[in-house]
Amino acid sequence: MTTATSPHNHVRGGYSLGRYIAMDFWRNLRNIGNSFFVIVLPTALFLFFGASMDWSGEPVGVGNVSAWTMIAIASYGAAMATTSMAGSAALEIQQGWGRQLALTAMPHGAFIVAKAAIAVAIAALPVLVLNLAGIFTVADMPPGVWLATVGLTIAGSLPFAFYGLAVGLSFRSDAAVGAATGLLVIFSFLGNAFTPLDGVLLDIGRFTPMYGIVALARYPLTGGDLVSMGGTSGSDPLWMVLANVATWTVVFAVACLLLQRRRTTRH
Amino acid sequence: MVQESVISARNVHMSFPDGTGGHIRAVDGVDLEVARGEVLALLGPNGAGKTTLLDILLGLTTARSGDVSVGGQPPRAAVQTGRLSALLQTGGLLPDLTAAETVRMIAALHADPADVDEVIDIAGVRPFASRQVGKCSGGQQQRLRFALALLPRPEIIVLDEPTAGMDVSARHEFWDRMRAQADEGITVIFATHYLEEAEQFARRTVLMNSGRVLADGPTDEVRARAGAAYVTVTWDPAADELERLPFVIRTTREGARITFRTERPDELARHLLTSTDAHGLTVRPASLEEAFRLLTEESTDTGDTERPATAAPEEVSA
Repeated sequence: MTTATSPHNHVRGGYSLGRYIAMDFWRNLRNIGNSFFVIVLPTALFLFFGASMDWSGEPVGVGNVSAWTMIAIASYGAAMATTSMAGSAALEIQQGWGRQLALTAMPHGAFIVAKAAIAVAIAALPVLVLNLAGIFTVADMPPGVWLATVGLTIAGSLPFAFYGLAVGLSFRSDAAVGAATGLLVIFSFLGNAFTPLDGVLLDIGRFTPMYGIVALARYPLTGGDLVSMGGTSGSDPLWMVLANVATWTVVFAVACLLLQRRRTTRH
Repeated sequence: MVQESVISARNVHMSFPDGTGGHIRAVDGVDLEVARGEVLALLGPNGAGKTTLLDILLGLTTARSGDVSVGGQPPRAAVQTGRLSALLQTGGLLPDLTAAETVRMIAALHADPADVDEVIDIAGVRPFASRQVGKCSGGQQQRLRFALALLPRPEIIVLDEPTAGMDVSARHEFWDRMRAQADEGITVIFATHYLEEAEQFARRTVLMNSGRVLADGPTDEVRARAGAAYVTVTWDPAADELERLPFVIRTTREGARITFRTERPDELARHLLTSTDAHGLTVRPASLEEAFRLLTEESTDTGDTERPATAAPEEVSA
């Protein structure tokens, strides 16, 4: 009798990371409460502050202020999504799911890749909803610029998947993940996302993690030019924006790798 | 009985910081060879090092020193190729997935998994396959973990206290399913503190305490080594009569009843009935639990006094 479990000659490799990612994506998407806040809250923020102010239609770069605001709030929503997604992934590991996964063909590193992919897929949802909201209100950009900012916004949330994962792996509690997500409001403010900064705050803000991804997502619109209440005021070179993104990505990713290596041991 | 060894651990050491600057030796020089098709019980109290040893065999923890190979491969490679799998005591499940979704998700992560529906049937997951894991009972979750362990079609399966939290009938059912797998030729290593599980299911038993192997052999022999049986009689002997009695390791008096621990119950019983006034004789084999306790006692107080005339009161229930 041959049963499903009879031993046989095994070959290495061949596991399906794609199927795992798809199944885990749906599992997280049907977690309605989380999805609702990640998508609806930023959209509401945009409708209040980005689409209905007196200055929403003022020109910025090749588009208008509404578009400038929309991009940043979308970045905020996407970063919230990846942070909380990745943080919950870390909590799964605390519940022993990581040990279950360590008994499969999937290597340690692939878990991080899978979770980052899922987090980015979830992050794409608020970006798409916000941009639709922008299209149907007053946001304005040339179509090519629009597409470029959408792509950059989603890509820019990737470092925050590592950020959320690192926080979850080190503090091991819902509260810590919640705090990490909440901290994004401050990072976004310092990252020049909500109101245009200048002076010392701008100098400090340039070194904070949201600054790079927001500036990068806006780059097609502004060409790096900064916006202040009185009009444009200076400009960020592209290399500086990229250096910010690259540095924080490396910092968060390395933290994840070190913490992930530590976690499979029980103590 | 020289057979191919599928698991080989030599001089394995593992220690953890104890939080006060020192180290706890969780595994302290363990040697273990497991032959293909063997069913082995790993017994020991909490903190004996069982789970740490199993983690090392599974590649979840790297030993501080020593050599471990599974089927000639490092443990992690044996897991990745699906030769080695496990049901872990601490193997977590995602509460918001259904049982069937859990099996499908883990199946996606094995190179050449068994058919999901077949595994669900074999492990007895079918009746609650569409239930959310968080709403399943402890026994149902163990069955689900068993299904996950069967997914890679393993040659070697490691079970860390697999029936913890199950009621008696669930335990019987679990071991019936496990026995069917063992009959297929799978090598089974299980840690348990239900000692009757070792007696009923394992042909070989390894006793562990404080990170060391205290005894390793056929389950019957391990029991024999700790004093095979208790012989109880009604008797009122003189002190010198008691002294002269052969084959006795320990003596306990309780009113008119005297209980002897012995490694040779037949000879002692024959002697008692033919050469003394003793009567009302009963013989009871020592349980593995008693074997275990006696062996752990011997390992801690080395100068075990032979034949104390009146031993410390032991519970005797013959």
